[in-house]
Amino acid sequence: MPEAILDPTGGQRTASAGTAVLTRERARLDGATIGLLSNTKQNAALFLDELGRLLVSRHGVAAVKPVVKKSFALPVPDDQLAELKDSCDAVITGVGDCGSCSASAVADGVAFERNGVPAAVICSDAFVVTADAMAELRDAKGYHYAKTAHPVAVLNPDEVRKRAEDVLPEIVNILTKP
Amino acid sequence: MTDPGAAQEAIEYCYEQDWTDGLPVVPASRSLVDKFLAHTSRAPEEVIGRIEQVGRDCTVELAAINAAMAGCKPEYFPVVLAAFEAVMSDRAARGGGWQSTSGPAPLIVVNGPVRAELGFNSTGGVFGPGFRPNATVARAIGLIVRNAFGVRPHVLEQATQGLPGRWSICIAENEEESPWKPLSVECGLDEGTSAVSAMLLRTCEYVDNRHTQDPGQVLTDIADTMARTGAVIFREAPCGLVLGPEHAQMLAKEGFSKADVQAWLVEHVGRRRGDLRRAGKNGLTENGVRHAADSPADDEVFDRFLPDPARLPIVVAGARNAAMSMVVRVFGLWSGKAVPVGGKA
Repeated sequence: MPEAILDPTGGQRTASAGTAVLTRERARLDGATIGLLSNTKQNAALFLDELGRLLVSRHGVAAVKPVVKKSFALPVPDDQLAELKDSCDAVITGVGDCGSCSASAVADGVAFERNGVPAAVICSDAFVVTADAMAELRDAKGYHYAKTAHPVAVLNPDEVRKRAEDVLPEIVNILTKP
Repeated sequence: MTDPGAAQEAIEYCYEQDWTDGLPVVPASRSLVDKFLAHTSRAPEEVIGRIEQVGRDCTVELAAINAAMAGCKPEYFPVVLAAFEAVMSDRAARGGGWQSTSGPAPLIVVNGPVRAELGFNSTGGVFGPGFRPNATVARAIGLIVRNAFGVRPHVLEQATQGLPGRWSICIAENEEESPWKPLSVECGLDEGTSAVSAMLLRTCEYVDNRHTQDPGQVLTDIADTMARTGAVIFREAPCGLVLGPEHAQMLAKEGFSKADVQAWLVEHVGRRRGDLRRAGKNGLTENGVRHAADSPADDEVFDRFLPDPARLPIVVAGARNAAMSMVVRVFGLWSGKAVPVGGKA
């Protein structure tokens, strides 16, 4: 009787396609407080600050709350998630521009949505495969996030501001549209 | 004698399941894996590692299956378990290390009697290939990351170029020809305890200096390799050093302890900011990330690159037939931990 060949993976996960991810009630930007969760990657904080400034000046956002993620590669810690959930109407996070932080940003976006907080994630276009793979791992296949061209880290401040300007409509869409 | 056709078919099956690192694996069967499990008192279902962000665990059973597939003998399994624990002691390995564009490789260092008992190479050609324990223990870690954690190239693993020898760097220390205490003893274990240490590497860079008997000159040569700007991305650029026995013995003969070597290198490894400016790396963010900055005024300031001496691992390995050593470029920071084989300190 021949023996079976053992599976070294512990059993493949099957991702459920199209699982509802988004918080049903989307954000109203007018008068809102928006959390800006930056991941310590070069230019991420400036990118998010600029988005915050544009949201205040053009979309009636009342306040922004910048928060720095403790570890760019890991999921947002429970205390930071709770803090943003309690104090913000929506969250923007990124910039996913490395092997681990792009996947992690998507995981965070999914986590915020599942906690009832509309969230927009920004990843660079060099990391869409790993970002999409993370969405699948979180049972959120097809999760939609905003993309900006790679690289981000080497841009000068004016170039970063231009990127923020370019991605703003997509961010507004993600936060406000079902 | 097994039917080669059946063996080939089983190997191809493993390829089709996407379970291999590109080389053939040994198809794992219940009876083979049970032989591995017989070499540990730990329960097969015990979780020995978790990558939080991908939500995957490694159990003793999965480690045994992957070790068998890597070509380990069952008796290597306690070393695989110790190596895995040592690797997972590294903060970067638990964080995003396996997903990183840097594509780091674990360097696994084996100390103690288990080297001879299992036939680990500690002398000529220590970085491989050619020796089953060295080659397969390192490979087992790679298969665990791929299969148990599900971190595969081009998907969750995003290495830009990777590095030659990823999942194949396992060396035994040449304790017999080292003038100093083994790495495991430096890490706090008793002499004679079999143990495994690990660190993640960006690469290895040789220093060939058969040119002088002067320890200052040899250390200067090593320091030059450690201080190259291409490797410097943060405030510090941690390194380790695998000294060939000839260099180690020359240094010891001239009165250097291992701590003296560490202190010398911490003092001398660095660059003037002018050099860093010309390479676009003279500025520092609050997070300690280097960037290009316009500040020629401080061109003469010397930036040291190594963290404290206790974070500069030095191992002696290789043959005593030429004065060569290897700078190992540490990704993250060495944990400074050695794990006893079999779990007994």
